[in-house]
Amino acid sequence: MANDKQPACMTCSPKGLCGGKGLLTLKEGAWANNPLAIQVLGICSALAVTSRLENSLVMGGALIFVCVGSNLLVSLLRKCTPHRIRMIAEVGIIATFVIIFDQFLKAFYWDMSKQLGPYVGLIITNCIVMGRAEAFALQNPPILSIIDGIANGLGYAAVLAIIGFSRELLGAGEIFGYKVLSGEWYTPNQLMILAPGAFFAFGIAIGIFNWIRGPEPEEKKP
Amino acid sequence: MKGSLYALIYAAVLGSVCALLLTAAANVTAPYRQANAEAEEILNILLVLDVNLPPDTSAKQLKELFNNNIREKLQNDVESYVRFQPDAKEKILAVAFRFSGSGLWGPIKGFLALEPDMKTIRGITFYEQVETPTLGGEIATKWFRDQFAGKSIVDGSGNVGIIISSKGDPAPNKVDGISGATMTCDKVQMMLNKLIEKISKKE
Repeated sequence: MANDKQPACMTCSPKGLCGGKGLLTLKEGAWANNPLAIQVLGICSALAVTSRLENSLVMGGALIFVCVGSNLLVSLLRKCTPHRIRMIAEVGIIATFVIIFDQFLKAFYWDMSKQLGPYVGLIITNCIVMGRAEAFALQNPPILSIIDGIANGLGYAAVLAIIGFSRELLGAGEIFGYKVLSGEWYTPNQLMILAPGAFFAFGIAIGIFNWIRGPEPEEKKP
Repeated sequence: MKGSLYALIYAAVLGSVCALLLTAAANVTAPYRQANAEAEEILNILLVLDVNLPPDTSAKQLKELFNNNIREKLQNDVESYVRFQPDAKEKILAVAFRFSGSGLWGPIKGFLALEPDMKTIRGITFYEQVETPTLGGEIATKWFRDQFAGKSIVDGSGNVGIIISSKGDPAPNKVDGISGATMTCDKVQMMLNKLIEKISKKE
């Protein structure tokens, strides 16, 4: 998990959230180092569940919940976790949160749980969650870790929502299941609902994201 | 050695805490999950037997419709759900059978409905499956299920069984498979044929 870019502002004077590091962490996770658009992590679920906007939002919510929960717990335990078994401990914690969310969906949002199928359970293996626990929560205090979880979850959810929005709009002519593009002049493009459509939408989304963000600051030559 | 012992204790404690959390979550949600699963089953029985459902039917209404229209019966050791005409109780309109088996990722469960002649398929539903969405998961979509209606569970020369495949000539007992989901289709075909064999056994 390459996260060698530590928040630059380590020596700021204490002000604002967590001595100014809070906002920076938030911006880092949600924008500058967006897990999907920049790091291109955890794209399996991003491609699979984004055929509808509603599904994408629930999946984004699930990731925020799991990421915050696991980051908090890993961070709280960071000083007493034996180094050798830290990864298995992280997986255990992540799996617990994922299954709790899955059970909650099955109990109260049955239809959604049916539509997402195995993908909620597969969050356990999502590299974003594991990556944040390993790269951030293990080294940072709980509150900052929560912020990092929210930031990365939001970054993931936002990209998912954009892909879900465009795929549902172009693929079915609908938004949240309501017809938006009328059948008279727009023929829904089935391709966008199918797997290749996810790749097209995701690729274009990454392109636009990087275009807006501007070029990566040049790295110093050794 | 001391470190190993500590790691062991840490793992045991963390594992117990996680297990405790999971048990709590499972217990709290159990009644809701069970009710959902039950309603889903009833809904699928009603759907596969073509019972007219008003839109947005509540779980209670479903149960009522079920009790008014359907009788459970054991037929050739297979659980079956017989739909009677509500006013003329003896007239059988259709019969549904439960089938289940393992799919590619997890169990697949559903109902197969036959016309009163016990040879023609009336419809099929899958109420539990975790196949890959957009591939094996297509078995639950309308286009795939609609193919079954009107097909026979017996081929031209009297052999029982249906075929789910994209290859070969059209036949009265064959439906199109899903490209990219051969494993799922084969497994569904196997579990259906197991059921059909049981149903067709002469008493």
